[in-house]
Amino acid sequence: MKHFDEFSRPEEYISPFDRHFRRLLRRHLEDWVMPERRRFDEDWKDHSLIEPAFDRLMAELGMQKSLFPQEYGGWGLAGSDYVFRGGYMLCEELGRADTGMAVALAVTFWPLLVIMVEPYRNDRLIAEFAPLFCGAKKAVFAANAMTEPQGGADIENLGLLGGRTIRTTARLDGDEWVINGHKLWPTNSGGVSSLFGVPCTTKPGSSDPRDFAFIYVPADLPGVTQGGAYEKAGMAADKNGDIWFEDVRVPSWYRAHGPGRDAEAFYQLIPFGQVMSCAFLTGAMMNLYERLYEFVTTRTYNNRPLKENDAVAGIIGRIAGDIDICRILGYEAAMIGDRRNKPYGRPLISEDVVGRIRNIKDFMSDRAVEIFGKAMDVLGLYGADRDWDIEKHWRDIKIVQLWMGGKQLCQMEAARHFFNCETL
Amino acid sequence: MSRNSDDLFWYPKTWMDDECASVVRLVRQWADREIVSRRMEYREGYEKLFPEKRKKLCIDIGIQKLTVPADLGGFGWNGPARAPALLTLACETGRADASIGVLCSTAWAMLALMDFHHPGGCNAGTVFAPMYASDALQTPAVILPGAGMKGMDTPLFLGRSIHAGAKKSGSGFALSGRDLRPLVAGGIADHFCVVCTMDGDRPCVAFVPGNAPGLRRGPSILMTGLNACGNAEIGLHDVPVSGAPVLEREGVVEELYAWLNLLLGGVSVGAATNFFELLADWSDSRVIKGGTTLKENPLCASVLADVAEEIALAKLLLYDLAVIIASSPEPGHQAIRRTFTYAEMIGHRAQQGVMRAMNRGLELMGSAGYAKEWHVEKHWRDVKTIQSILYGMAADAPLKMDTARFFYDCTQI
Repeated sequence: MKHFDEFSRPEEYISPFDRHFRRLLRRHLEDWVMPERRRFDEDWKDHSLIEPAFDRLMAELGMQKSLFPQEYGGWGLAGSDYVFRGGYMLCEELGRADTGMAVALAVTFWPLLVIMVEPYRNDRLIAEFAPLFCGAKKAVFAANAMTEPQGGADIENLGLLGGRTIRTTARLDGDEWVINGHKLWPTNSGGVSSLFGVPCTTKPGSSDPRDFAFIYVPADLPGVTQGGAYEKAGMAADKNGDIWFEDVRVPSWYRAHGPGRDAEAFYQLIPFGQVMSCAFLTGAMMNLYERLYEFVTTRTYNNRPLKENDAVAGIIGRIAGDIDICRILGYEAAMIGDRRNKPYGRPLISEDVVGRIRNIKDFMSDRAVEIFGKAMDVLGLYGADRDWDIEKHWRDIKIVQLWMGGKQLCQMEAARHFFNCETL
Repeated sequence: MSRNSDDLFWYPKTWMDDECASVVRLVRQWADREIVSRRMEYREGYEKLFPEKRKKLCIDIGIQKLTVPADLGGFGWNGPARAPALLTLACETGRADASIGVLCSTAWAMLALMDFHHPGGCNAGTVFAPMYASDALQTPAVILPGAGMKGMDTPLFLGRSIHAGAKKSGSGFALSGRDLRPLVAGGIADHFCVVCTMDGDRPCVAFVPGNAPGLRRGPSILMTGLNACGNAEIGLHDVPVSGAPVLEREGVVEELYAWLNLLLGGVSVGAATNFFELLADWSDSRVIKGGTTLKENPLCASVLADVAEEIALAKLLLYDLAVIIASSPEPGHQAIRRTFTYAEMIGHRAQQGVMRAMNRGLELMGSAGYAKEWHVEKHWRDVKTIQSILYGMAADAPLKMDTARFFYDCTQI
């Protein structure tokens, strides 16, 4: 194999967007992000290195407007029939460079997808928010403020709990929603977001999907308070913190779609989030391959290159083989999403799609944890060394495995789908 | 929480006498009072508190002089019979802070190689005994064979490249080597324990003072974990080692590996024990599906069981290894190979088991698993670092070769 690009993916799945944009994005990341990324960990709080990198990526290169329809100044990605595959390409390239930056960018798209992907499109809200993202000279972030202190992954488990445990409330007062609650851990919190998508309940304790509301809240409104960023094991480019909403008032039309449809549109985010997680993983895996290739070619055991020893070859062959298989699976997950409107596809909110995609993400996460750990061991004394990059990815991909309900929720969704479990 | 990890992670204590029990109790108290019960304070003030807490353990409590013979000013825990006791202390220190545990373990492993009362003038022990019995904190660094560089053939220790070489020079030796990477502490070590070759031939162990002329330290290396141990590569250019000799006896390098596998295994198990304690608290207090505590959910309980099983078995295996080391082997090539092979196999299994326990446990903690305020992520990073540096290179391939050689008499691998 001559290049990491040759890891398998079904050629017929590759989108036109991929053919045109991948090379440009890769060059940008190799010029501006990869040379700096080893210093990102120490920049977790100030973002003095990370913020300019985001400005170049999101504003100058224009990625923050990519979802928006062209008539609003965007690139029209959300309205295309390859939104999953296009997003996969972006997130894979970003993941190769820095998964923290990848998730910060992808999560900016996340709440916006609720109003941009057919059949759940809300043009009034698109028009409202487009100038914020499409006209900015600096990076603009959004966040999906889901997780609550008491609930852990309950909101991601909407299929089972129906929003019963949500404590953030939305009360209609005239033509305004009044929001109260406490969220924590959203990507792009910790003071960086300009806009929050907030899952709320209009009737606490209810598991009726019609009582679930998804409401947009600009971060600068009175009553919105953000805590500082948490310090984490990795992903320094992704800030996370607490957000408090105290009698925050937004126009009533800031609700995404209305009773029932809010829950459906929100539930679509699960497949989006899982597919892009797969993309982060394959991107990081490809970078692992690059770095590992260098090590096993230049370092020796028994005075021969490591890769020429049969026992070592058995280990690194399995690592590369897993990357190859995972990339095929990742693109298949993206294609499941892009088939949503085809006669042979399934809606994103179907148990079938959620179960299959969660299953792929769970499998890929397990493989990633295994092969990154193994690759660090192949590097041995150098495995934990920042200069070899693999340890950074090792920390980051573990985070990918743990988020969005983590492994066990993936297993439950898979069991529900494949075995028709009724009580899990 | 009323859990007692001693009762839960059981291990045979037939070797533990009253003196040993009291030392273990002292170290446990130090761990609980100074670090475990003050995790947040310790994390936030780490740069200042790490040396303070280490000094308290090593100097004030006196752990530093533990393995120095009594007649040379120490506690007299020298000799292989103390292997189970030292393993217990490695676990206790690792439970508090793996970096402190690794530095203590490295010192015990290095001192274990020394015959303090050798009649023939072998003075490594007499050089190091006063240093380790003193009130000045000592930091050792160990340099093992590892990966070579393509195009640069080197002498080998069981396939691993030896990058340092000693040559006779006057009445002593001169040591040279480039880009030597210690396991830890290259940037802060007071002395180095270096696996090298004697006159380009057989592997041996030499000791180099940190301030020796001709010794150069490279820039600090940022690592996944154990960063308090301050690692850096070093270079040696004709460094005289006349003060402390080169240990040339057969099996001395294997012995060093055996002790490191035992004691660094103990540090990892100790870190995993505290990981278990934090996870157990989490599983007691967190709910899923709107009301069930984590530990009462069958899927989560099975993950928790995996965590406990891996830690318990790793600990038991390590005590088996300690007994193997403690039961003075009959001299000879086969006995050396046997202890070395078992040390590698058990050390490998223990590290793998602990890493798997942590990876599985983190699955249940979600974002708290990778948030620094919950502390488990530090144990996870530290143990992964120990695992990787102990492999040295090529993951488990070299140790598989060592194992195959022992059990199948392979001669070509």
